[in-house]
Amino acid sequence: MKLKRLTRAAVLAAMALGIFIVELQLPNLTPIPGVKLGLANIVTVFSMFLLGPANTLAILLTRILLGSLFSGQVMALAYSLAGGLLCYLLMLLLRKLLTMKQIWVCGVLGAVAHNLGQMAVAVVVTGTPAILVYLPVLMVSGIAAGLFTGLCAQFAVGRLEHTSLFK
Amino acid sequence: MIRKLLPLLLALVLLCACSAQSGEKTEEAAPQAEERTSTIFAMDTVMDLRLWGTEEQLREAEREIYRLEDLFSVTDPASEIHALNESGEGELSPETAELLSGGLALCARTGGALDLSIYPLVRAWGFTAEEYRVPAAEELESLLENVDYTRIDFDGLSRVKLPAGMEIDLGSVAKGYASTRVIEFWREQGVTSALLNLGGNVHALGAKPDGSPWRVAVADPFGGSGYLGVVEITDKAVITSGGYERYFEQEGKTYWHILDPATGAPADSGLVSVTVVGENGLTCDGLSTALFVMGAERAAALWRESEDFEAIFVTAEREILVTAGLAESFRPLDEYAGAKVTVIEP
Amino acid sequence: MRTRSWIILIGALLLVSLAFCFLLLGRGASGTVANIYQNGVCVRSIDLSAVTESFTFTVSDGARENVIEVAPGRIRVLEADCPDQVCVHAGWLADSAAPIVCLPHRLVIRIETSAKAADGIDTVSQ
Repeated sequence: MKLKRLTRAAVLAAMALGIFIVELQLPNLTPIPGVKLGLANIVTVFSMFLLGPANTLAILLTRILLGSLFSGQVMALAYSLAGGLLCYLLMLLLRKLLTMKQIWVCGVLGAVAHNLGQMAVAVVVTGTPAILVYLPVLMVSGIAAGLFTGLCAQFAVGRLEHTSLFK
Repeated sequence: MIRKLLPLLLALVLLCACSAQSGEKTEEAAPQAEERTSTIFAMDTVMDLRLWGTEEQLREAEREIYRLEDLFSVTDPASEIHALNESGEGELSPETAELLSGGLALCARTGGALDLSIYPLVRAWGFTAEEYRVPAAEELESLLENVDYTRIDFDGLSRVKLPAGMEIDLGSVAKGYASTRVIEFWREQGVTSALLNLGGNVHALGAKPDGSPWRVAVADPFGGSGYLGVVEITDKAVITSGGYERYFEQEGKTYWHILDPATGAPADSGLVSVTVVGENGLTCDGLSTALFVMGAERAAALWRESEDFEAIFVTAEREILVTAGLAESFRPLDEYAGAKVTVIEP
Repeated sequence: MRTRSWIILIGALLLVSLAFCFLLLGRGASGTVANIYQNGVCVRSIDLSAVTESFTFTVSDGARENVIEVAPGRIRVLEADCPDQVCVHAGWLADSAAPIVCLPHRLVIRIETSAKAADGIDTVSQ
């Protein structure tokens, strides 16, 4: 059922994009760039466990490309790509290690990996290693936000995995 | 094949459009338009100049401020104002004349809450030389006889005549005038981003180079460790007058430097600080003093019939009032975070 | 892996990050430099984030003196022989928005950070 898979991936990509755009409208909690909830991560984690790696990569790339296009932040594309891909690689590994009750771990470590990737690009692009002082703060915020998004994804997977949609 | 490629092509074109936009921005910021700052001492205060432009534009602005100081200073024996106060009449340069007529217009607009001829009283209280004293009631009364801006005989162009015994001081509007002159000069030069702070008088040209508004903090009139709040502005002056700026205490009473021209004593209107935000520095500078004297109620009435300014008031009871136009862009900070802000409606 | 192992792993990561946070916060923002200007000329520059013990020194132009105290992450004018004492009353300076100014002595102490000021304030209207 190629059509079904395509539709599923498209709907999830649209959702991720919608969440991403809405979150952009929220005011920043701190002046430190990169500290955010990362709600779109819910979709990534969710699809990683229910749709598999290939679909997830497509959804992730679609969201990142269109997200930076829609928000007009093309400069942020490099940051998002680096963060998103590092996060994705880690999730590939975690997918094999985690049970369905441990999906939240994927959210946490994924968010941390995302922040690490962004930070690495930021250091290269700005040429100022001094911004690494923000790293511990980003790690803490990543763990907290990742726990939230991970749990969201876990509940969503728990509710939906046995429905006909994802059989 | 073409059908598949078309959306991709479209997306690419869109992408290019986006990047072209940001590319233009970097081109506009020509190689020499770097951030430049300087700190100078003029008009009895410290001034910070910050612009994204050339070294020459910065130096020219410094020279202009020094030149204006030499014209307006009330203490410098070589200044036009000093000469006018000495002889009672004089011929003014175009700049001094412009400042005087702008100042007089504000005196009239505020019903005398601002009065350029109050200088002898400021001196009697010791605020000019920091030798503070409380003058006797009779002394105030006799000095008040010569305080009346309506008796300044000015032809609006250059010739001015003062009645015997009157002395004027343009200090309450001079910094605002100077900041407007510098900003206008830079604007003519094509500068799109600059920030002046002339002894606490803030004046911004455009927005920050990244396009976001300037974030200007307002001092805490009660002297706390933080700020009262922050206001976001582009292309505006933000000028605050408060009793905390200069004051002395005697026998448990506090006397500050903003005097009420009606009584000759420190203004006692229930306000401790007034911040005026507007496009014209001179107007904001003069109004911040005048509104402080007028008190919140009369100040709100003046605001309702005006178009050219917005204001933030702090009362002695730590209440914060803002005019409707600032309700969105002002946010209390630090000790005041979460404090109730009353919006003055039109 | 068991859930408990994951919790321990993430908990350890969190603890280490938190420890670093406090370590860095305790030292003040990195790259916080206080510059002392006399007559608009920078006469001394101190990296406040590298200061571990308080010390004082005197800035003098021959006749007029300001005694300046430096502590980890902050700086102030301890004593001055100026008439108005505004610089002394200004207290400690730890952020970059509003400098300490001693007008009679034409002295300015300003903090300049490489990173943006904590709350992104550009200047202060006072």
